[in-house]
Amino acid sequence: MKVLILGAGAVGGYWGARLHQSGTDVTFLLREKRAEKVRKEGLVVKSPKGDAVLPVKVVTKGSEGGPYDIVVLACKAYDLDSAIESIAPAVGKDTTIVPMLNGHAHFAILDKKFGTEKVAGGLARISGMLGPNGEILHSGASGVSFGERDGKPARKTLLDLDAACRKAGIEGGINPNINQDLWDKWIMLATIAGMCASMRGTVGDIMETEDGAAIVAETLEESCKIATAEGHAPSANVLAGLKTMLTTKGSKAVASILGDMEKGGPAEGKQIVGDMLGRARKAGIAAPNLRFAYTHLQAYEARRARGGLK
Amino acid sequence: MKILILGAGAIGGYVGGRLHQSGADVTFLVRDKRNEALKRDGLVIRSTKGDITQMVKTVAKASEGGPYDVVLLTCKAYDLDSAIDAIAPAISANTTIVPLLNGMRHIDVLADKFGDAKVVGGLARVGVAMNDKGEILHTSPFAAISFGERDGKPARAALAELDAAIKKSGIDGGLNANIVQDLWDKWIMLCTLAATCCLMRGASGDILEADEGRAIVLETVDEGRKVAAAAGHDPGDKGMATIRSFLTVKGSKFTASMLHDLEKGAMVEADHIVGDMIARAKKTGIATPNLRMAYAHLQVYLARRAGKRA
Repeated sequence: MKVLILGAGAVGGYWGARLHQSGTDVTFLLREKRAEKVRKEGLVVKSPKGDAVLPVKVVTKGSEGGPYDIVVLACKAYDLDSAIESIAPAVGKDTTIVPMLNGHAHFAILDKKFGTEKVAGGLARISGMLGPNGEILHSGASGVSFGERDGKPARKTLLDLDAACRKAGIEGGINPNINQDLWDKWIMLATIAGMCASMRGTVGDIMETEDGAAIVAETLEESCKIATAEGHAPSANVLAGLKTMLTTKGSKAVASILGDMEKGGPAEGKQIVGDMLGRARKAGIAAPNLRFAYTHLQAYEARRARGGLK
Repeated sequence: MKILILGAGAIGGYVGGRLHQSGADVTFLVRDKRNEALKRDGLVIRSTKGDITQMVKTVAKASEGGPYDVVLLTCKAYDLDSAIDAIAPAISANTTIVPLLNGMRHIDVLADKFGDAKVVGGLARVGVAMNDKGEILHTSPFAAISFGERDGKPARAALAELDAAIKKSGIDGGLNANIVQDLWDKWIMLCTLAATCCLMRGASGDILEADEGRAIVLETVDEGRKVAAAAGHDPGDKGMATIRSFLTVKGSKFTASMLHDLEKGAMVEADHIVGDMIARAKKTGIATPNLRMAYAHLQVYLARRAGKRA
């Protein structure tokens, strides 16, 4: 089995590194600058599960080094268009695409471009970030799950990938419930990203305010209603877990989008919050808090585009 | 007529400086450090209407240099309590207090402390700032203060005299027979601007770039209007049109000074400008969902700020 991973950030980099270490045939598809650095210095991982510097295979074009059985998309959602162009030459008749993006908007785009049957569902629970030198700073969770979006038994390539993950010490693997899990994660993300971004604080900071807990709970409810209208209501258990996680006093939990914004970088506002709000509109669901959050994210992008407040 | 000005910051320094320059009997009540600097360097104004450096009368205690006919309060709203303590010894039976703060809450607080009759309404429109050398930088073309009886009756002698002194000093404005309505109109505008610029962390024009930015701004103006109307001070259609047009200029770089304060990590007048509007709305059963969201944002900011300082 040959695996191509687009992106060597926290998710793609960590996952790919562990696969490589345990003997899977992994190639990274990277931009010139990143490719050069990884070729020269190796892929550097710092992790509680063990540091490593790995001489991994790197290509800068999807047409090189194939054919690939699996293409993992580990880019940010706002880079999806360029990612699609990059991987297109690597996607053959028997290739399975496993996207690890947040939200749901990417599925329609990938389906249209490559055909629904080629696109599996994928979900990352890897916590980490890139360090100043491009090193992967892994900080805890190291789970990845994937599966057929229609809930049918997994195709052979996914079973192979599952076996490779087990060998690599990556938790998760085949997930027969991937589509619902994606929705559950999105509900969580839309709420935490929407709130942390528009309030500019951690969950705990928001809980310090008079209406913070109520506002977060309302936002979670908005997202749940939208998921329900799409036929993907979270279970009572999941919902209770999310509510606890998102309204815990003193919690340091924070959406990574806030870090991106405080650095002045691009943010996945459109995919995580905007698309959720768009679905609310279509279903006729009022989502006032998501509306504030998305307006904040759009104002952020407008300000970023003109280069500041001046 | 003897005038005491609390604070020689941007507004107090500019107004007091021009009054002194034109022959009014002005004393500045300032803290020790500022007092020393003024005694050493004089009061420095750099202005589109002419620069001047002049020695001015200062006191560190309000019990000195009185009795005063007029006390001008130009502190920030969050310093009101300490300002009240500071001016208390200067207030005699015949003193008139002219507060130049934003919002309305301070008027009740002052009236409670010193008696209703001593407190008139006051409004500053001076585009001015103070640099770190303590110099007053007046960079805008406008410099106006206005004041008047809150019950709309003919102005007392002290205000008529202040009016004459203001006219002599070249500052625009003066007696205002409509001061309470003007205070409300300005508060509605300022409350909307501060709430939306802070909640969205952008200039007016950035917010208007978002799909629903304009709608959110206009809803927020209406929330303020309802509160004003419940207090018997509806701005009327003409007043509302002025406020709306001010806040909905596409591409406008106009922004609330509160956002600048917030991005510097400084203290903000959140309770006075936004919180008090919400408190009044609650008392009269008016829903203010937009202000609620903005106030939560400001409270998150204050919680984070307190955490950083702790």
